[in-house]
Amino acid sequence: MAVLDAGAITQATAGNREARTAWGLTAPALLLMVLILLVPVVVAGVLSFTNYSLGNASFDWVGAENYERLFTRSTYEKMFIATFTYVVTVVPISVGLGLGAALLLHSLGRIGDIYKTIYFLPVMATLLAMAIAWEFMLHPTIGMVNRTLAMACGTWLEVVPFVANGCAGGFPLWLGDRDYAIWVVCFIGIWQGFGFNMVLYLAGLTAVHRELYHAAEMDGAKSAWERFRLVTWPALGPTTVFVVTISCIRAFQVFDTVEAFWPQGGGPNKSAYVMMFAIFEKGVQQNLIGMGSAITMLFLAFVMSLTLIQRWLVERKVHYG
Amino acid sequence: MKHTTTAMVLVLAASAAIAEDKVTIEFAYPYSHLFDVTYEAMMPAFKEAHPNIEVKFRATYESYEDGTNTVLREAVAGNLPDVTMQGLNRQQPLVEKGIAQSLEPFIAAEADFEKDGYHEAMLSLSTFDGEVYGLPFSVSLPVGYYNMDILREGGIEELPRTWDDVIAACKTMRANGIDNPIFWGWNITGNWFMQALLWSQDKAIVENGNVTLDSPETLVALEQMQEIFTECEMQNLEWKAALASFSAGDIGMMFWSTSALGAVERSQGDFELVTGPFPGFDGKPMGLPAGGNAAMLTSTSDDPKVREAAWTWLKYITSGEGAAEVAKTTGYMPPNKAANEIILADFYEQNPNKQTAVDQLPLLRDWLAYPGDNGLAITQVIYDSIERVVTGDATDMKELQQEMVEEVADLLPNG
Repeated sequence: MAVLDAGAITQATAGNREARTAWGLTAPALLLMVLILLVPVVVAGVLSFTNYSLGNASFDWVGAENYERLFTRSTYEKMFIATFTYVVTVVPISVGLGLGAALLLHSLGRIGDIYKTIYFLPVMATLLAMAIAWEFMLHPTIGMVNRTLAMACGTWLEVVPFVANGCAGGFPLWLGDRDYAIWVVCFIGIWQGFGFNMVLYLAGLTAVHRELYHAAEMDGAKSAWERFRLVTWPALGPTTVFVVTISCIRAFQVFDTVEAFWPQGGGPNKSAYVMMFAIFEKGVQQNLIGMGSAITMLFLAFVMSLTLIQRWLVERKVHYG
Repeated sequence: MKHTTTAMVLVLAASAAIAEDKVTIEFAYPYSHLFDVTYEAMMPAFKEAHPNIEVKFRATYESYEDGTNTVLREAVAGNLPDVTMQGLNRQQPLVEKGIAQSLEPFIAAEADFEKDGYHEAMLSLSTFDGEVYGLPFSVSLPVGYYNMDILREGGIEELPRTWDDVIAACKTMRANGIDNPIFWGWNITGNWFMQALLWSQDKAIVENGNVTLDSPETLVALEQMQEIFTECEMQNLEWKAALASFSAGDIGMMFWSTSALGAVERSQGDFELVTGPFPGFDGKPMGLPAGGNAAMLTSTSDDPKVREAAWTWLKYITSGEGAAEVAKTTGYMPPNKAANEIILADFYEQNPNKQTAVDQLPLLRDWLAYPGDNGLAITQVIYDSIERVVTGDATDMKELQQEMVEEVADLLPNG
């Protein structure tokens, strides 16, 4: 008995020591996470129930007033419309283009490297600097885009209604037109983002076993489409979940283009008033920390739920261990 | 970039010269596209006159709103510059929050302050509770910019005097094949042209701590804007794009602050540019808001040497040769008698385009600040509302006025 007890005790102390070492080793990371991640989130959460204005000594509690405004004012309705338009447009297209480009490049071999670089260039370029370049190109009268379009005037291309209208009444203002503004931002988002998705898919493709294709071919999957549908697409499942989640989060975070194009106001009629810009405008530009925090909390909720969905999918649906 | 380099050179120079007892002061200003040239022109003479003062330029503010904001943040973070340039209607909040400091002690120590050309009317723009907090640096008024080549081509011989004339001119020009007759600068700092149309009717936008957006004058102003935008079929250009278009010779008439005149002339294409007085409702406007900025002392230093150096810099840029550079390089007027009357005596004769704003000086009114902490947010409401008129999103001006009043009420201290 005594011997057994002693053994149990040594084991327990050893276990304790191990646990302590484990905690000791994770402590720095935990501490940092709490300090620079959780504490600010909690502070923002608390501030979202106040009317704190930067530079003031005190603040008042306003209850859920900030949240109530968030869901009743037309400004924020425009914010939700702009944000979801952007996410719903940019995510599927940039994922689709990324996958398409990856498949094409995968089959190219050597020469593919050149294209890889070309497609990846916009990802590496600073979006803010690129936005300024786009701003010049999209200038309504002296910009490259409209000048190029104007070259089509007087040619057979005028059969296209868009060109005909443009030649008659001037081409779109792009950044100044509320019908085009958000689509311009979407276009730039896709242009900038799909190269990143392509790289992720290329990595995913290298992990697909060659044998699976041979097996599928022997089983009668003759066409390329069949092979894609039966082998490539399912094998890319985990990559797709990751790519879609990352793209979603990045799409929710769009900010640089809007800030560069419309530093005041977030697009004509707030048509490109995306969430990140709203947070910046309220919290940083106008010093309405309470309102800014409320939008931030909502933003965190969106991103959080996306991450949870991703985890759930990865664990349940697309794991082929 | 140029300024970063200058700043770096200055820092290096400063550290090398500690032995010689150099004082470094930090300084920030808005609108680099207007003022870079001004400060560049001022610096050599200042360095010669005060070799022991190094002025370190901070990153420029994008706009007056950005400037106020940056200073508010810096006040919380504890790294305020020693001298900052602030929009005339953004001084009040900084005074109320105790960030800007009274200049009275320095003024009291000056023997011939009046003689330096600072006079009552101009200083009143920066006087709060009987104390001077800022020295106005540049004052502007709205004017009309006209591309005479386009106007003649469009069949217009005479400059418009009222808004009805402007609209009639638009129609004639359109009929004569001019695509882009007008840019009306509603988006200049978001609220300045609103105040311009109100002052034109001799109405203040803030009276006794109340924002008067519910007044009949506001409705008149909104309806006038709508008429200009729709009848002229004005394109909704971002203001930088509009200035670029006008300079390139694509726009016939542009209504904007006289401040941009220097910048427009520098990048002007091949056409005849003429400025004219800001049109009014029936005849001349009854008043116009003063635009521009003032130098404020925000130094947190206890060192009397630094404070004295900051004052020297403040005084230098707002008087004498320093102030004269403002008129020479921009379209602003230096709010300093001595600079205007003595140094610039024949300057305006040679530059009649810059004379237009000077002629309008009797109309000068305050660019009013909005009460409470939310001045910037109130400006944004006005901006957003006018934008809805430009884009055609709002068609019923009465309804729009009502929405504006409600949104602004939310943002007022007693709202």
